[in-house]
Amino acid sequence: MISHFEIELEKLKNVIIKIGSLAESQVGESVKALLSEPIEGKEVKKTEDKIDKLDVKIDEICQSILALQQPVASDLRFIMAAMQISNEIERIGDLAISNINRSKHIKDKHDLIAKFEIGNLSKQAEEITKKSNECFLTRDEGTIGEIFILNNFIKKASDAAIEGIILEMKSHSKTVVSGTNLVIVIKHLERISEHCANIAEYVHFMINAKIIKHEKF
Amino acid sequence: MKDIKIEVKDLCLYYGEKKALKEISLEIPRNKVTALIGPSGCGKSTFLRCINRMNDLIPDVKITGQMLVEGVDIYDKNVDVVNIRKKIGMVFQKSNPFPKSIYENVAYGPKINGIKDKTQLDEIVETSLRQAAIWEEVKDRLGDSAMGLSGGQQQRLCIARTLAVSPDIILMDEPASALDPISTSKIEELVQELKEQYTIIIVTHNMQQAARTSDYTAFFYLGELIEIGKTNGIFTKPEQKQTEDYITGRFG
Repeated sequence: MISHFEIELEKLKNVIIKIGSLAESQVGESVKALLSEPIEGKEVKKTEDKIDKLDVKIDEICQSILALQQPVASDLRFIMAAMQISNEIERIGDLAISNINRSKHIKDKHDLIAKFEIGNLSKQAEEITKKSNECFLTRDEGTIGEIFILNNFIKKASDAAIEGIILEMKSHSKTVVSGTNLVIVIKHLERISEHCANIAEYVHFMINAKIIKHEKF
Repeated sequence: MKDIKIEVKDLCLYYGEKKALKEISLEIPRNKVTALIGPSGCGKSTFLRCINRMNDLIPDVKITGQMLVEGVDIYDKNVDVVNIRKKIGMVFQKSNPFPKSIYENVAYGPKINGIKDKTQLDEIVETSLRQAAIWEEVKDRLGDSAMGLSGGQQQRLCIARTLAVSPDIILMDEPASALDPISTSKIEELVQELKEQYTIIIVTHNMQQAARTSDYTAFFYLGELIEIGKTNGIFTKPEQKQTEDYITGRFG
């Protein structure tokens, strides 16, 4: 027989999967907005509201489980991880929205995007978001490792792109406005990637009871 | 290195043909609280009772292996069981004060041990009642019957009675299971205070109580010791799956 407690844990897991997939779709939309067409603001706002509601819901479920069930060992780690992960996911959603809005104001962006390989960088950010959701669901340590590798790659690629854009802005002053917006977008992609790596760390903690945050990979 | 008070080596206990404890080996550190947890019938109370030879009183019980207290095997035939029980006090699930006055309950043990001096007895009674955190509640009515105290007070009186004969070790068999939350928290606080001076072993069915009060936790199942370790480790990352299943309530 499945206990009431296990039903609550399952419910929590499902809400995290849901909020994760919404953030993933927001990141997808933000990449689309950057690389190709402007995105309809209404839908994006709706998703953002959903994410915020689920974030609160996760806090409420966790609070109730902690108060009423006093979980220990793997259950406690799951609750702790859930609270942190939902926080990270909510931030990913916010950054994606910020990128969607900012992309509208970047004129002649396609030349810069092509020149500094920002298309590839965006795709990688989309990929790492997908993987962070996947690793929570599958608890696969291989995926956790891939996330850390991808995060390092994104960091390096972001630094290189930003450096290039700054040089471009120095030599062609008319690219300053677009270039500055693009630098912010890239910074947000980098932060999305960092949040995904954090999620991977919490999943690692959930599986192995070992705290690995602040360690260098 | 841990300072070991009790060392148990390959201890087995049989009730007739039935083997109730199976090759138990563990070490209990001095001036720490060790909690024994496990489902009903797992042998944790039987094990607790082995520590002061309470099982001697049960017919058909056979014990093998060693129970070394300060390096001395208490099951050695040259050991005087009365002396052991002086050094190893016990508090039971149900408070069991004598139908005497509060004062007499505490003075009873020291009197049997030959202390007759009234001033000395008064001192022992006060110290023991203070240590058991009940002095303030009873100091003005020491001559009243102990049976008139509340359940929580009776249990603390029994702890005072145990302390009055200056034991080294205190065994507690679910000391708070029949008490309300306030009395329970008083007993738990008391356990924390007492460990400064005594080695305490506590059997409890209450997981949270084990987590709150103990330094080490031992998990028993079907007469076997499955795992013993620091309480923090047992409740955050137990080594054995059976322990994890038990403490997370997924047993069986």
